[in-house]
Amino acid sequence: MSDYLHIQDIHKDFSGLKVLTGVEFKVKQNERHAVIGPNGAGKTTLFNIISGKFKPSSGAILFKGEDISGKPSHVLNRHGLSRSFQITNVFQELSVFDNILSGVRSCYGLRYHFFKKPNHNRSICEKVETILKEVGLTDVQDQPANSLSYGQQRAMEIGITLSTEPELILLDEPTAGMTREETDQAIKMIDKVTAGRTLIVIEHDMEVVFSLADTISVLHYGTILVSDTPEKIRNDQRVKDAYLGEG
Amino acid sequence: MKQKSISLITIFALFLAGAFMPSILKQYHLNMLTEIIIFSLYAVSYNLLLGYAGLLSFGHAAFFGLGAFATAVAITHIPGISLWNVILIGIAATLIAGFVLGGLLLRHKGSYFALLTLAFNALFYAVATKWHSVTGGDDGLSITRPDLNLGFTSIPLNSLTNFYYLTLVIMGAAIVFCWYFTHTAMGKTVLLMRENEDRMKFLGYNTNISRLILFTFTGVIAGFAGVFYTFHFQFVSISAISIDMTTAVLLMVFVGGKKTFWGPILGAFVYIILQNYLSNITDRWPLVMGVIFIIMVLYAPGGLSELIINIKQRFFGKKNNNGDKSATPEEVTS
Ligand SMILES: Nc1ncnc2c1ncn2[C@@H]1O[C@H](COP(=O)(O)OP(=O)(O)O)[C@@H](O)[C@H]1O
Ligand SMILES: [Mg+2]
Repeated sequence: MSDYLHIQDIHKDFSGLKVLTGVEFKVKQNERHAVIGPNGAGKTTLFNIISGKFKPSSGAILFKGEDISGKPSHVLNRHGLSRSFQITNVFQELSVFDNILSGVRSCYGLRYHFFKKPNHNRSICEKVETILKEVGLTDVQDQPANSLSYGQQRAMEIGITLSTEPELILLDEPTAGMTREETDQAIKMIDKVTAGRTLIVIEHDMEVVFSLADTISVLHYGTILVSDTPEKIRNDQRVKDAYLGEG
Repeated sequence: MKQKSISLITIFALFLAGAFMPSILKQYHLNMLTEIIIFSLYAVSYNLLLGYAGLLSFGHAAFFGLGAFATAVAITHIPGISLWNVILIGIAATLIAGFVLGGLLLRHKGSYFALLTLAFNALFYAVATKWHSVTGGDDGLSITRPDLNLGFTSIPLNSLTNFYYLTLVIMGAAIVFCWYFTHTAMGKTVLLMRENEDRMKFLGYNTNISRLILFTFTGVIAGFAGVFYTFHFQFVSISAISIDMTTAVLLMVFVGGKKTFWGPILGAFVYIILQNYLSNITDRWPLVMGVIFIIMVLYAPGGLSELIINIKQRFFGKKNNNGDKSATPEEVTS
């Protein structure tokens, strides 16, 4: 049986700087997979490669048996892969509704249409409204994105990521910069909205990681130190030495 | 959909007002109004690039001039060609040019994009100047407008009033189409390009295709205005394809304001009227225009349309929604 997602010996150099040196792990369908590792370990770079922002220097990414490495981001998105960004990356001057709409209509094939309206049919609007409700932004849907609070912006980042109906979701530090309560709330929301889909999440908060993830991969100096269940990771001596020990 | 019906009523009222102009205005002013309508379309097309997509191009005159020259060349070299076929040729020429140039410019952004469009404009200008046997070079080309053949009847266009009506209907319809375009899926995609091209890619949008479509579309619209420019003056010279023509459209859009759909139309009015009166008074009118441009950029970067909106808000309170302000809020707050 082939795996759902298989990251295969991924290398990435930035003009000499070796950031990833043979990253290898597998993700099962419907799994909650966390990627942890110290700052600068190359986690975001790995997401950039999986999502098609960068080409890997070498290696392959098998998604449902097909090598998707190096494919452009928009193609990957249409294959069912969607990602969020560590630094909020939205359409700042558009309304919250239009931000979510941009992904929903893309999913309905309304990207370059010259005659149809973007909210052409009822189900598009309903889909946008559902997502707004899920991420808790219904009340501010008509406000421009740049008027939102930090927490709301992070919620919108997730809402946009969900808007193209992905089956594989990559979230890059969704709770970064949040308070304890905000984090707890955000995680509850993420848990709910990603149900029935495959999730890979980069997360710093260990409490969150251990409660949310089925599998954890530890990225250290450009390779995966270990990829296993939370219990095994908690007791792994290498991880303790390299990472958990610090905290 | 109150906003929508207000917009439709405004459009209807403008056409109606336009229909009465020949009985109100003197020939001289009707002539000027015809020119204003043509330049309004040109300015609107440019604003779709600059205001809506955030793409600064210095090559828009290449399309305008191409449409203008295609018209003159077609009429000169194909005896008895119909008005419709001339328009088709003008549109076909700019469509192809838009597609080819757009394809070459796709990967370039910001100042590189701007400089490359400038270079292409210069290239088009050089071709128009040197290819004397076809374009007339420095001498330009004189033409007479073909009659308007409607199948059941033929309307002569040598009368200014008739030509004014044709311009009002066709250029007006093209402006309305552009306005409609800003509300379509592609029109909204253009805003995404301005806001965040990077993020679009992760939502399934091919940004190269988006750009190519927009660049070609705005090029064709500018070329369409160019076709009527030649019809209007019954003459085309290399100035139609020169950098000056790009500067002119930049001025119109900046003076009128690039944050609203109707700003550039206002800009075309102001520009053409000023140009007509100033050029009667002094040869140095471009200098005056330049000063106005500098003042606008420094003190009213949102242009006249923003000034008007601000004044209206001051007098009528914040919630006033005039039909003219048909652009949706996100377009206004560019
Ligand atoms: N586009 C880039 N060009 C050059 N170096 C980069 C680029 N992106 C990331 N890096 C480098 O790669 C390393 C890993 O960065 P990153 O993937 O952002 O780490 P993490 O997300 O784990 O904190 C850092 O040293 C960073 O400077
Ligand atoms: Mg990171």
